[in-house]
Amino acid sequence: MEIRNFSIIAHVDHGKSTLADRILELTESVSERDRRDQMLDSLELERERGITIKATPMRLHYTADSGQTYQFNLIDTPGHVDFNYEVSRALGACEGVLLVIDAAQGVEAQTIQNAYLAADNGLEILPVINKIDLPAADVPGAIAELEEIIGVPGDHAVPVSAKTGENVRAVLEAVVRHLPGPKGERVAPLRALIFDAVYDAYQGVIAFIRVFDGTIKAKDRVLIHSTGKVLEVERVGFFRPEPTVAAELSVGEVGWFTAGIKEIADTQIGDTVTSADSPTDRPVPGFKPAMPVVFSGLYPTDTEDYPRLREALEKLRLNDAAFSFEPETSEALGFGFRCGFLGLLHADIVQARLEREFDLSLIATAPGVVYKVVTTDGAAFDVQNPSELPTPDRLESISEPFVALSVFLPEEYVGSAMGLLQEKRGEMKDMIYHGHRVELRYEVPFGEILYDFHDRLKSLSRGYASMDYQFLEYRAGDLVKIDVLVNEEKVDALSIIAHRDKAYDVGRRMVDRMAEVIPRQMFSIPVQAAIGGKILARATVKAFRKDVLAKCYGGDITRKKKLLEKQKKGKARMKQIGTVEVPQEAFLAVLSTEE
Amino acid sequence: MVAPALYVHVPFCPSICPYCDFHKMLRNEGLVARYVERLEAEAAAVSAAFPESPATVYFGGGTPSHLTDAELTSVFSALRRGWGAGAGRAETTLEADPLTFDERRLAALRALGVTRLSIGLQSADDATLRFLGRVHDAAAGLEAVALALEAGLRANVDVIMAVPGQDVERDLRRVADLGVRHVSVYSLTVEPGTPFARRGVRVDPEADADAFELAGSVLAEYGLQRYEVSNFAAPGEESLHNLTYWRGEPYLGIGPSASAYLPVGGPFGTRYKNPPIKAWLAGETPEAEALSADDYLLERLMTGLRTREGVDLEGLERRVGAKLANVAPAWLRDVTRHALLERTDGRLRATPAGLERLDGVLRAFVGSRTAIAADRRA
Ligand SMILES: Nc1nc2c(ncn2[C@@H]2O[C@H](COP(=O)(O)OP(=O)(O)OP(=O)(O)O)[C@@H](O)[C@H]2O)c(=O)[nH]1
Ligand code: SF4
Ligand SMILES: [Mg+2]
Repeated sequence: MEIRNFSIIAHVDHGKSTLADRILELTESVSERDRRDQMLDSLELERERGITIKATPMRLHYTADSGQTYQFNLIDTPGHVDFNYEVSRALGACEGVLLVIDAAQGVEAQTIQNAYLAADNGLEILPVINKIDLPAADVPGAIAELEEIIGVPGDHAVPVSAKTGENVRAVLEAVVRHLPGPKGERVAPLRALIFDAVYDAYQGVIAFIRVFDGTIKAKDRVLIHSTGKVLEVERVGFFRPEPTVAAELSVGEVGWFTAGIKEIADTQIGDTVTSADSPTDRPVPGFKPAMPVVFSGLYPTDTEDYPRLREALEKLRLNDAAFSFEPETSEALGFGFRCGFLGLLHADIVQARLEREFDLSLIATAPGVVYKVVTTDGAAFDVQNPSELPTPDRLESISEPFVALSVFLPEEYVGSAMGLLQEKRGEMKDMIYHGHRVELRYEVPFGEILYDFHDRLKSLSRGYASMDYQFLEYRAGDLVKIDVLVNEEKVDALSIIAHRDKAYDVGRRMVDRMAEVIPRQMFSIPVQAAIGGKILARATVKAFRKDVLAKCYGGDITRKKKLLEKQKKGKARMKQIGTVEVPQEAFLAVLSTEE
Repeated sequence: MVAPALYVHVPFCPSICPYCDFHKMLRNEGLVARYVERLEAEAAAVSAAFPESPATVYFGGGTPSHLTDAELTSVFSALRRGWGAGAGRAETTLEADPLTFDERRLAALRALGVTRLSIGLQSADDATLRFLGRVHDAAAGLEAVALALEAGLRANVDVIMAVPGQDVERDLRRVADLGVRHVSVYSLTVEPGTPFARRGVRVDPEADADAFELAGSVLAEYGLQRYEVSNFAAPGEESLHNLTYWRGEPYLGIGPSASAYLPVGGPFGTRYKNPPIKAWLAGETPEAEALSADDYLLERLMTGLRTREGVDLEGLERRVGAKLANVAPAWLRDVTRHALLERTDGRLRATPAGLERLDGVLRAFVGSRTAIAADRRA
């Protein structure tokens, strides 16, 4: 049977997962009973937030107008920039992509980024202009932008409505006609790429693979190329979208295998699986490792959960190859991990998955970028955790990462966007007109666009602006460490680094927010922001006036004691700092937006 | 063995109050007879095991005054059979509803050995009493208190505070003007599952705090001092029985749901709790929980800090084998720095501000303490 392996890629919300739903229906790949919206968004978090987080593969069969039946392995991918690494790995399993463009929005920042990613991987691009049912849909406009901005010819572009299902069959015909099938040899030593994995409590690691040459089946002895580890295959199969057992996986196919792998270090995403008896000397090119750019500390609220957190991080890392972690300790929070992420949403999702999938209660410190530091004695190093910044007298220089930012938006919002960018210490490099849409190119400190920038950009443009950025270089700056004192004690986990000109505003905002979220306690608690010994801003958490129960006689004593102990246990996402209970939100005070 | 106190639980009430989450039930003749019979048996068994005669006896409820004279007589004889005539020699208290006694009954109670009545007046205002669902009115309530005093009994009057619409000061003055030497004030709390909770009754925290402070100043004018969070007395009029709880001293307990604390089962004693009435009538034994050093330390702070005398910190630290400064250093620093607790002559006491926020102080202790065993190892 002929095969087509393709990913669906697009900017956020352009309708990838909805298009996948229609394709699944049209090919009768899921029973009526199991149908629901965004079928392939199976994580609880994906359904709650209405976004795709994980790339999800799915096998289906399509009988074309010619009468011939094809095996399709489709991979629905996330659109959000923080999950871009998911897309790049999915592309490793494919020969082509459906590049979905919302006909009412046109080409947006991640449309371009993802299209380039596909082109760089040598994949064939089939444009799909979606949402043609919308009154504001402009199909010729979208095609023109496609050709002009991205340089992808629009001749084969298929206009559809993923919502109504209109013209979706034409997409599948185009897949057969315009996307290439896999090449490779069936009778050859196994050569397969691990493009994703998930840890299963019973079967160990389930490795997601794309077979480039040969076949793989149960009992085969396979070799993991980078580690030299030899394994006996237990089961193989494909995705429907849940893992389904098959007799074998053959050349060109996408599927999975298990081999009783309990040691997570034994499988690396991007590794090649080959035959143990006649290993290939041409491993599949893997993936560029993801480069985490945002770092924050993750600590268990209950110190005893530290080993469980480590184990959970290892398991989750298998399913999310884009984050990193290493142990760190904090005076205030105890033992935890400094974790690296691709962005703020990614950080948030990782924390949420750890808490849900591994039943942990965590405190995350404010996410920040990595600074480069040179000390007066000539030592140079990276600072991932603001509390590690040397004192000013020992500091020769400190540099922060800059990114090249491009913002796409309708021309009427250019003025306000430029105001925002100036506030964020951005420097304009270019301004390009694409019809009525403008692309602003800026160089801006990454730390400045981390928190509220995207939200503010969206709101000033009524949702029409999109953005993309690329790391540029490190530049020296007048940066200072702001410490936060709770109840007159410095809390290392709350320190942040900011530009000196903004230190006062940032400090003010942090202490105000903290005073809002720290619950009232037995005495009033000062919250202060300081640079060195100098207090920048101060706020107060007021004390309860009266907080004592009237009765405590003989029969009440045990009950009251139990209540006190239970109250302590019930404190999810709260950390006791000295005698003060500090909730998760207080650690993220710097993220609070100015009103 | 010391057992200075005995608590007797009487679970019957004339009616059920809408704010009450105590263990209680309406009176029912057959049940009361079985109760008295079982109480006699329990008194016999407990006194056999702990024969030392309790200096104080306290009848709590429910509303013990809803027992008839004959029933009370049986109960008292059972206590005397078990512990001799000295039981309750220092103080014998009975919780009483204003409408359950007259001069004749007061004489009978005195004859039985009752020295003190704890009278559930609650308020001296008709509207507040109606809101609380009490059956007596203000005049009858005040009259009952006056009668008890005239009869030569000590009277402890309960006053409830922070009731919506209540004039706390007027209530307190009306009571104190009668010459009462002991007043207990309790703020209305709306416990989940009670009719008040279902009706959505709310206590205003500001009014609650105002009342707490007001009670202190008003009663001080009458020479009544706050000697525990909710209890005010003229010197020498304190409830000896209740002081045993707050001092962490042992006490016996009989009756359904009664608790006891006895110096057995380890260095820190054991707490017992009788089962509720059905199981108790069937002869089920109490639940027991031997205290650890950590339990003991917490309980001592929890109860001792409620009193004006505070806790004997040095004695306590010796007993648990650990210093508070090691168990909860940050806490000790903060509560003293913020003048919530103070250390003088080897004792630890709550300041007026600390007393008003004592639960917060204790939560912070529990939140930041380290276990004593670990502290010893270190
Ligand atoms: N009117 C209309 N709405 C559509 C169409 N396709 C998708 N939508 C809506 O667009 C929104 C986003 O759809 P999704 O399929 O979740 O988009 P996505 O591209 O998968 O989003 P991410 O995975 O988060 O990047 C949903 O509210 C869909 O119902 C369409 O053809 N017409
Ligand atoms: S009389 Fe006392 S014990 Fe009985 S219901 Fe009322 S408050 Fe509760
Ligand atoms: Mg999606």
